[in-house]
Order: sequence, then C-alpha cells, then structure tokens
Amino acid sequence: MNEDFVISVRDLYVNFWISGTGVNSFKDAVMLFGRQRALQKKQVLKGLNLDIKKGECFALMGKNGSGKSTLLRTLAGIITPEKGSIQIRGTVAPLLAIGAGLEHELSGYDNIRIMGTLIGLRGKELKESVQTIKNFSELSHDDLSMQIKRYSAGMMARLAFSISVCRIPDILIVDEALSVGDQGFQEKCAHRINEMKAAGTTIIYVSHSLTELKRICTRGACLENGRIAKIGPIDEVGMFYEQSFQ
Amino acid sequence: MLFYKIKNLYQLVYTIALKNIKVKYKNSVLGYMWSLLHPLAYLIIFIFVFSQAFANIERYPLYALVGLIFWTYFNNSMNQIINSIINNASIIKTIALPNILFPLSAAFAELVTMLLSLIPFFSLMLFFGLQITWHTALVVPAIFVYAIFTIGIGTLMGTFNVFFRDIGILWNTLSPALFYFTPIAYLSNLIPEKYQAFVQANPLYHYMTLFRDILFYNQMPSSRTIIITCLMAFVTFTVGLFMFNRYKKGFVSNL
Repeated sequence: MNEDFVISVRDLYVNFWISGTGVNSFKDAVMLFGRQRALQKKQVLKGLNLDIKKGECFALMGKNGSGKSTLLRTLAGIITPEKGSIQIRGTVAPLLAIGAGLEHELSGYDNIRIMGTLIGLRGKELKESVQTIKNFSELSHDDLSMQIKRYSAGMMARLAFSISVCRIPDILIVDEALSVGDQGFQEKCAHRINEMKAAGTTIIYVSHSLTELKRICTRGACLENGRIAKIGPIDEVGMFYEQSFQ
Repeated sequence: MLFYKIKNLYQLVYTIALKNIKVKYKNSVLGYMWSLLHPLAYLIIFIFVFSQAFANIERYPLYALVGLIFWTYFNNSMNQIINSIINNASIIKTIALPNILFPLSAAFAELVTMLLSLIPFFSLMLFFGLQITWHTALVVPAIFVYAIFTIGIGTLMGTFNVFFRDIGILWNTLSPALFYFTPIAYLSNLIPEKYQAFVQANPLYHYMTLFRDILFYNQMPSSRTIIITCLMAFVTFTVGLFMFNRYKKGFVSNL
C-alpha cells in the first residue's frame, strides 16, 4: 500500500443476501433445504477499485441505487465484502444516518454515554466528551436531562451530530447527513468539517447537491451500477454526473 | 489483542444491557417490581388451582415457584434475544460493531434481572420450606449452564428471525404451549407412560429436573441429568454461534 493513501480498495465485490418474502420463500427454504439456498444473491458492488489520499476530501456521486451507501458501509466495516481487499489506515467515523441508535425513552445524557461507548469512547475520554458534546450541541443541562422523545427534530439532530463529531477521526464518512438543524447549526457543522479537514482528516462525502460537493471536495467519483464510471477532479466528475441525467 | 477484544465486547454488552433494563422499566411506576410480580401472579393461580389436585406433593408452592422462576427467565430471554438483532437494526446499519453484542446483551440483561429476583424469591422459598444444604450452592453452576443453553437457542432463532420473521411469530405461538408441556405446575409422572418419550424430548424438562433436584429435593442431580443439560447447553451454544457467524453477513441487507 502506498504511503499516501489512507483507503485502498481493490477489486471489491459486495453482495446482498436477500430472503424472499411471503409463504413461498419460507416453504421453499424448508422444503428445498440443502438443495437450494434460502437466500438470493444480489450483486451490489461489482469489482470496484478506489484509492483515497490522506487529508483528501473526496466526493461520491451517483444515481439512487448505484451503490453509494453500500460502498460507504463497506468502508466503515459495517458490511463484509464478498471478494476483494480494503485497506484502511486510521479510525473511521461514519455519519450515515443522523439519529440512528438513539434511545428515545432515555435522557440526552444517557444517550451520550451509550452512543459514545458504541462509537468507541471509553473511561476518561467518554467523561470528557459529555462536556464537548454539550458545548457543541448548545443543548442546555435541562434539555440533556430530558427524555429525548420530547426533543424537536432539530434538537435530536444536534445531539446526534454532536456525538458523531465529538472527536476528530482519521477518516470521516458523511452520507447526506448535513441537511438537518437550523441554519445556525448547519453553518456550525460545515465549520466543524472544515476544522477536521484542517486537522488532516480524510473526508468521503456523499451528496446529490453539486454545489455543496464543489464547496468541500477537490476530487470525486461517480458510481454507476456498482462500478466507478468516472473518477477525477470534482469539476469533471460533476459534469459527467450532470450529463448522465440528460 | 484477544484480551482487548473481550474487554471491549464486555463493555459494549454491559452498556447495551443496562440500556435495555433502563428502557424496559422507564415508564412504569412499579418498574423492576414487575419482574417479581409476573411469576408471583402465576404462583398464586397455581396454588389456587392445583394445590388440591397435587395434595400429594409436599410443599407444592415451593415446587411450583422453582419451576416458575426458571421458566420466566427462559421465556423472557427468548423474547428478548430472538428480536435483539431486529430491534437494533438502526445501530447495526450505521455503526461497525461485533453484532453478537446484541443477543449477548439481551441475554445478560435478563440474567441480571433473574439474579436480582432471586434475592426476594429465596426468602419466599425459605418461607415455603426450602432447606439450605450444601446442595443449594449447586444452583450457581446450574444457572450458568441454563444461561448458556438459553443464549444458544435464542441466538440460533434470532439469526433466522432476521431472514424469516416467521420465527419470532412461531415462538410467540409456541411458548404458551411449551409452558404447559413443561412440568412447571405438575409432576411429570402425570403424563401417561406412553408419552414419556415426548416429555423427555423437551429440553426444558431436563433443566426443570436439574433445578428441582437442587432446590426442591435437596439432592445431587443424577449424572444423566447433568450430562444431558451440559451437553444440550454446549451443542445449542456452538450451533447458535456458528449459524450466527455464518449468516451475519446477510443482516444489513435484510434489516
């Protein structure tokens, strides 16, 4: 692996294993046990190659269903690839769906501790992060003591985002997560991403908004049907992506 | 490296288990008391209904209570473990974690609840005529073996429940039947001789025998019971984990 690259993907294949629905699939699985697989295979990523340099801000584009989210999840270690290799240097913080995993019956503080543990914070680091998250989210002590089911959508997003970005990772993966919160908070998010960028974090950014991608990223790729159709400077890839709709 | 992995998994299991316990009783006034009231309600019914019918069983309330405590644990654990993967879909799809964490923490939460309930239940058992002998200490390894069995069978069913939600529904349908099929409120010799093979085929029958020998008859369980219960725990645990590992790659695309 080249020293400059933090992510190297070679010949990556990812399959979905899908169980059919309804009586028939269950019956088939039982009746044909051993003769036919109960799960149907669907290839989502088909031999993908990708290198991302350290400190780079990389844009990922593509139509719905082209495999962007699957690629992000595979890079984050959530999906195990069928074939091929992925080499990743450093810690990965995925920002895939804002608010996922928050427990609505519990307080903001409880959720910070739970989500913090899940994303890998322990002991002293976890304790310190509570204050960081409190400051960043601008939620008051009263807000955080309250069960989060009483939060507004914006407050929920503030809490979730603040937990996800409370420490600076080596690689940040963002899946259209920033269109939440009020304008002030959106600016704050953009500012935090710039901070991370300055600190040397590599960012992979998925969005359908070309202006947003152009503002943040320098290089990008466009996915089509599980393969990379175009990779290069952001302007070229952006043009390619726009043309694919004409 | 392995030590770090295990420590990490333990911390995750502990956190999620604690969350499960908190959430379970968050909005109820009696909270944790419910885990005691549930078996107690059944115990009262059993005493009303069956104490005449089983007048030949000395200390019938103790007999029924032992069965009820360990049935309730099994039933609650199964309900939680089978759905543990589906219930945590949003976490599984967004954070890279060892997914075995979810069945384990569901099992851990139920185990802690059961162990806590044993404190008041032991007093109640003493009231109903439990004798404490050195055999009583055997309840600790017995609970351990039983917990392993529960985790194994729960994880196995939980894995398949991701792909075929029928499994969860099937369990909900069958668990009341299993409750009556297991000798909890009655003596197993109540079932005619010719059906004894069916009784023996029920794993819970052997675990009930194990706990009754220890807590009701104050005797060393027979070596047959010990071997069967340990073997079942080992086999279900191994098969459960094996199937989980084999099919976990399909979780994200089916949640």
